[in-house]
Amino acid sequence: MTQRISKYQRFKMMNPILQFFKFIYLSIKIMIIVAGGHGGTRKTNH
Amino acid sequence: MSKIVVLGAGISGHVAASHLRRKLSKKHEIVVVSPNSNYQWIPSNIWVGIGRMKPEKILFPLAPLYKKKGINYKQAKAVSFFPEGDKDETKPYVLSEYVVGEKKGQQEKVTYDYLINATGPKLNFEATEGLIPGQNKTYSVCTYTHADHAWQGLNKVIQQMKEGKKAKILIGTGHAKATCQGAAFEYILNVEQELRRHKVRDMAEITWISNEYQLGDFGMDGMLMSYGSMTMKSSEMVEMIFEDRDIKWILGAGVNKIEDGLAHYENLEGEIKTESFDFAMLIPSFSGHGFKAYDKNNNDITEKLFKGFMIVDADYTVKPYEEWSVQDWPETYQNPTYKNIFAPGIAFAPPHTISKPRQSKNGTDIFPAPPRTGMPSGITAKLVADNIIDSIKKGEESLHHKGSMGNMGAACIASAGYGMTQGSGISITTYPIVPDYYKYPKTQGRKLGKTFGEIGLAGHWLKLALHHAFMYKAKMKPFWWLIPE
Repeated sequence: MTQRISKYQRFKMMNPILQFFKFIYLSIKIMIIVAGGHGGTRKTNH
Repeated sequence: MSKIVVLGAGISGHVAASHLRRKLSKKHEIVVVSPNSNYQWIPSNIWVGIGRMKPEKILFPLAPLYKKKGINYKQAKAVSFFPEGDKDETKPYVLSEYVVGEKKGQQEKVTYDYLINATGPKLNFEATEGLIPGQNKTYSVCTYTHADHAWQGLNKVIQQMKEGKKAKILIGTGHAKATCQGAAFEYILNVEQELRRHKVRDMAEITWISNEYQLGDFGMDGMLMSYGSMTMKSSEMVEMIFEDRDIKWILGAGVNKIEDGLAHYENLEGEIKTESFDFAMLIPSFSGHGFKAYDKNNNDITEKLFKGFMIVDADYTVKPYEEWSVQDWPETYQNPTYKNIFAPGIAFAPPHTISKPRQSKNGTDIFPAPPRTGMPSGITAKLVADNIIDSIKKGEESLHHKGSMGNMGAACIASAGYGMTQGSGISITTYPIVPDYYKYPKTQGRKLGKTFGEIGLAGHWLKLALHHAFMYKAKMKPFWWLIPE
C-alpha cells in the first residue's frame, strides 16, 4: 500500500506559483470548515 | 457586578479572558490567575526546537497587556477549590498561591461569581521513569524553554554528525497513554528536513516511536480523508511521508523507562524491548493537576469536581468502545454540581478516549489519550465565555452556546519543514473531531471533503500565517476578535 511521492508530485508540492494558489484555496477551505460553526450533538442526531 | 476568575493563561484561558473583557462592561471584574508570566503560542514551539525561531517570537509578557486592557492579573497558582466558600468566606473561592515577587508563597482566597478552569494539563514526565527534559539525551517541545533546550541538544548531535559520527534519533510518545502525537509528528519531519539542510541526513537514522496502533492515528482513531482526487486513510498518508523521508517506525509501543540513550518499551505483542538513541524527543503523558476541593464545612468533595481533569457535562458512564457515541462528549463544559464552574480546553475530563483502547498481551493499556489542540481549546473557551456573558446580561443561566467535539471541525496544519521556498506542511482538516459513526457510517465517522489532507509548501506558509495571525489576536491588537479561534 505504500506510495512514495513521485517527482512530478514533488514538483507540484514545492512549486511556489502553484502553491500560492493552493495557499489561497486552503485558507478559504479551512476557514469555511473551522469557522463554519459548531454546536451540540444531543438533540440533533437521534 | 460580577467577578469572573479565569485559571490559566494559555490558549484557552487567554481566549476566555479576552472575550469576557471585550464584551462585558468595566463594572464587571475579570481576574486571570496563572503561574506563568508569559503567553506562549505553543504550536510554534516546533520551530524553536529546530533553532529556526527564537522563543521571543512566540511569547509576550501578560502583565502589561492585562493592565492595559483592564484585566486583573495574579501571577499565582491554584491550590484548592472551595465552590461553597468556607466558614469565614460566604462566596466561592479558589485558594491560590503567589509564585513571584513580594507575595511569593502567600496564599489568597480568590472569590468568584463564575470560574473558568483553563489550567490545561500537567506534563506528567514523572509517569515515565527517567523521562526528564534535558537528561538522558531526551528532550521535549511542550514549552518554549523545553523546545529551546531541545534545539541545543539537537544542534550538538548535528555538530557531531558533521565530524563524522553517526547518530540515532528517536521521536514520538514517551508513555503508553500519551497524546499529542501531532506535535511529535511535526517535530520528526522538521528535524529530518533540518538534517538535510545541514547536509548530515545520511549520517542519521530517524525512528518514530508511538503508542498508536497504526500510523496517522493521532489519538483520533485515524481518519479517512480526501487527498487530491483520491480517498486515503491517514495511516497510508503518513506511511507515504515516512517512506519518502526514510523514517522508520515502531508502533503500539508503551515507553516505560528511559536510561541514558536507551528507551525501554513494551509493545502490543507483550514483548519487552529497547531502542537506543543519541537524541530523543518524547511527549510525556498528560494528567490533571491533582487539585483538591472542599465544601463549606471543609469536607473533601474532590470527586464532585475532578476525575483527573475537571468533571463537566460529559457522559462518564463506562461502556465498551462499540457503544461510544458523540453524545458522550460535553457541549457546554459546565460542571454538573457547581453550575458556575466551567472547564474548556484541555482542563475538562474527556468521557473516554477517541482511539480504540488496546491492551498488550501482558494487560498493559497502550493507546493514545484524546488530543485537544489549540483550535478546539479556543472554540470551547469562547463559547464558555459567551454563555457566562449571556447569563450575566440576562440575570439567569444561559447555555445557548454549545460546541461538542463531535460537532466541530479542526484544522491541523502540521509543519513538515521550515523555509519560505524549501519548507513544507501537511494541512489536515477533520470534521468532526470525534468521529460520528451514526451520521457518517461509511466514511469512518467523518465527512469526506471536510476531512482532507494536502502536502506542500503552501502548508508551511499557512502555518506561518497562522502564527502571525494568532500572535496578533493574542496581543489584542485592533479588530483582533475578527480572527476566528
